[in-house]
Amino acid sequence: MKLDDYSSVGFFYDALRQRFPYFSGVIQKQIDTFGDHWLRLFERELEVLFAKDKKRIDQAVMGYGKFALDSMKLQVKFQKTKAYDNKTYEEAASEVYQNKEYMFGLYLPGILLSHYLWRHHFLQHMFFLEKFLPLVGSGDGKVFYDIGVGTGFYSKEMLTRSNLTGKGFDLSPYSLEHTLMLLEKHHVDKRYETNLRNIIENPVMPAAEFLVSIEVLEHLENPQIFLDSLSCMLIPGGYGLISAAINAPNADHIYLYRNSDEVAEQLLNAGFEIVDSSVDPAYSPKKDGDLVPVNVAFIVTKR
Amino acid sequence: MTNKNIFDSLTPIFREVLDSPSLVLTADLSASDVANWDSLNHITLIVEIEALTGLSLSTDELVSLQNVGDFVRLLFDKGYRG
Repeated sequence: MKLDDYSSVGFFYDALRQRFPYFSGVIQKQIDTFGDHWLRLFERELEVLFAKDKKRIDQAVMGYGKFALDSMKLQVKFQKTKAYDNKTYEEAASEVYQNKEYMFGLYLPGILLSHYLWRHHFLQHMFFLEKFLPLVGSGDGKVFYDIGVGTGFYSKEMLTRSNLTGKGFDLSPYSLEHTLMLLEKHHVDKRYETNLRNIIENPVMPAAEFLVSIEVLEHLENPQIFLDSLSCMLIPGGYGLISAAINAPNADHIYLYRNSDEVAEQLLNAGFEIVDSSVDPAYSPKKDGDLVPVNVAFIVTKR
Repeated sequence: MTNKNIFDSLTPIFREVLDSPSLVLTADLSASDVANWDSLNHITLIVEIEALTGLSLSTDELVSLQNVGDFVRLLFDKGYRG
């Protein structure tokens, strides 16, 4: 594989091949599928995050490998049970969101890299760039909310590609810490503030022109209540990008969506109007009946 | 002899999952050597091996598995004798 013009991707590929040879094929697969565009974006992200520091790239590879192994093992189990592990939000929070070692050692680096290495996550990213971002425009003088910031990836995307100011909300202090780290590396942290806040118990006012909430719904016991609160945070005529994982077990996934229609129905119930959507499977099923993880992203508005 | 038993017991699983009927397991054999040994098949190998041995492998243990020899050593350390 020739990666002469993409040295950070080259370092990453070498580390992945050494640590997890069975995962290394993903690099060629993404290049074959998405071409130079993918390479440019991934190179830029790795360059900003790791500045060609091989030790830190290797640490990130380890985190990604653990995260991916964890997820894939759960997926195999899910094929048999057709159900997520019965878990409350409090249990998931204790196991994941409030567990600093798990968050920084595995979860956050894993999710961040998955935006480039997982087909459905990269397609969601493309949907954001091609369909949602044009609605944002320059963003001058406008505000967005990111609810459930995760790694901060989409807050970073909103800030680096517009002049918006933003507020990020999450229940994990480690997600907020990671988000600030990411934004500082991209030099956009001055236009952003983080809030450790439950938006259901403590709704956010005033409503904003834009909101993003990426793969949060499946982490909740009752996503409808969350969406009802989210709807109040968007002004009439504003736009939101809301996504969810379908048939995708993870250590902290509680609410099982079996298809995108179930998500759409909850969005409509919350008062959103659906403008556009993208439904992206992670891979082609190996055989009939296999449940494949799917990502669905909706652009929504309010009248 | 014990390790040979483990190699022998793992061979049918690797051949079936990797769709390679004449595959010969060696300690150094890794995903780099077998075309079908991708991430999905790797996980299938792990699940099948857990079913065979009755052992449960943690994420940290999974990370250490880079070739067949690593599988054999880990299973031996966890008490499996083939």
